[in-house]
Amino acid sequence: MMTTAISSNLPVFVVIAPFIVAFILPTISRRLRLVESLTLVLSILLVVGAGLLTHYVKAQDTATFYSMGGWTAPWGIELKIDSLSAFFVLVVAGVSLPVSMFSVANLSGEVGNSYRTTRFYVLYLILIGALAGIAFTNDMFNVFVLIEVATLSSCGLVSARNEPVAAHASFTYLILSTLGSTLVLGGIGLIYILTGHLNMRHVSAELAQVWQSSPHVVWMAISFFLVGFGVKTAIFPLHIWLPDAHSTAPSPASAILSGLAVKGFLLCLLKVLYNVFGHSIIFEFGIDRLLVLAGSIAIVAGSIFAIAQDELKRRLAYSTVAQMGYLFLGLGLMNTQGLKGALFYLASHAIIKSALFLTSGVIISTTGKKNVRDLAGVGRKMPLTMAVFTISSLGLIGIPLFSGFIGKWHLLLGGLETGNFISVLTIIAGSVLCAAYLLPVIRIAYFGSAPEESKGWKDPGLPQKTSLVLLAALILFLGVFPDPILELAGSAAVNLLSSG
Amino acid sequence: MNKLLNKILINYPYFFAVILFAIGVATIVTRSNMFKKLLGLNIMESAVYLMFIAAGNIRGATEPIITDSNAGSTIINPLPSALMLTGIVVSVSVTAFALALILRMYKHYGTTDAILIAEMRDKNEKWGNK
Repeated sequence: MMTTAISSNLPVFVVIAPFIVAFILPTISRRLRLVESLTLVLSILLVVGAGLLTHYVKAQDTATFYSMGGWTAPWGIELKIDSLSAFFVLVVAGVSLPVSMFSVANLSGEVGNSYRTTRFYVLYLILIGALAGIAFTNDMFNVFVLIEVATLSSCGLVSARNEPVAAHASFTYLILSTLGSTLVLGGIGLIYILTGHLNMRHVSAELAQVWQSSPHVVWMAISFFLVGFGVKTAIFPLHIWLPDAHSTAPSPASAILSGLAVKGFLLCLLKVLYNVFGHSIIFEFGIDRLLVLAGSIAIVAGSIFAIAQDELKRRLAYSTVAQMGYLFLGLGLMNTQGLKGALFYLASHAIIKSALFLTSGVIISTTGKKNVRDLAGVGRKMPLTMAVFTISSLGLIGIPLFSGFIGKWHLLLGGLETGNFISVLTIIAGSVLCAAYLLPVIRIAYFGSAPEESKGWKDPGLPQKTSLVLLAALILFLGVFPDPILELAGSAAVNLLSSG
Repeated sequence: MNKLLNKILINYPYFFAVILFAIGVATIVTRSNMFKKLLGLNIMESAVYLMFIAAGNIRGATEPIITDSNAGSTIINPLPSALMLTGIVVSVSVTAFALALILRMYKHYGTTDAILIAEMRDKNEKWGNK
């Protein structure tokens, strides 16, 4: 009885469990160990839940719709359980587990006393819950509410360190991000005026009939969505908030923000473009070419900015701007290969960027050095940390046997299929540029002569080591055995392209 | 021209929403004072709320409470108003959080001007004493 109640409502539990735990945590903030273990247990449960959902989705041919509270489609809020949502929940759960493990007995140094640390965990869990909600939701207004929850908790995480610099970065992020959400809300309003529906299935059915009679409103709505989500996903040149926000946040927060939060907003854009507007409208207005162009510019410009940075975390933050370009490019290719590649790259980048931010967090907190040129000697004193950093760097560059390669390979195939050679060129150029900003870090860390003060430097404690090894193992596993995840991404891509 | 003017006059709530929206965006982009940026954001949000509520309104219709006396008459659409209640809650929390951040920055930098704060940060980074 209990098990059927849980299994038939599993998607709801995956979404609300983080929220429930988040609101329990402040009551036990005196006992930090309990807070940490509760968060860790929840992360493990999320992985189990995501695994069960994936298993369920793989057995099903079509998407399953869950009506919240028993209110059916046009009136109630609907959750859509298909390969896309299972895929994204799996990514969220798979990345949040190592990040929660990394935070055990390690956060107080960056965030402050146990009250502040508990508050950090509250915001962290709310962000995870909102991202899981984004994966399932099939309702336009629900999308707005969830992105606002994700935005506010992200801003809170950015300002978690008690420094005025963090407050400034967080304020910039908050203003620009809320500007983005307001644009999205405007787009939702225009769609509602045009179709009278908020449920994505009904909107898309209605829109297919009416869009030709009022193309200007549809065009307005699409531009609202593109600019709104563009600010939130930090596509170049709307990225100005990102380097500041992601480099001043505590390192677990940087990992989760760069790895997952921006991808959540990208998933919303993907759902709105493919499930609501459908590809006939995308082709009609030339959105696909716009996405490819924006992606290509972001790859090149983001990488060049990253090369110019000397501060390690800022360099990684600019690298996120560049890597988001790949995802936009894949969205714009409009074929199964490209979309599959983009989704796989999303998962791969989420893991890699978390690993990079966590290792750089370890390096910065142990050595106190923020700049790349001061990292000499780190490779020999902290072998495990630097090994994980190297594995993730090679993954991000896209060397075969690492996860980044599979994603870039399918993106390349997708680009060749459309005959869009600019995209093919930028994908390859992006890899070279990525090597240009990551390899110097490795070279200095391993081959620079260690300074006097490096005697006390050592690898972090056991929970941190476990989490870093877990991430590195995931990168290698996805690079060698990509099939299970690639299949899921492929079926999600087929579903997205066949709808609308 | 006359036709366009007529359209604007009939749909005046949307016209005002567009003007409010433009004022809000212009304030956010051009003002360096952080309070004014926040006010601009609130004005912009109000414009979107106005658009939603105008979309739910039907001229001459009654409120959506059905009693014996108005049974069968046209009622306005209550859904956009209900949605905007959620939107207002969201914008209130954003405003509260932003005000807290401004307060924290004012305590440290002694100003609410975003450009001055950015200059101070650059200077600190250059001399390496963060």
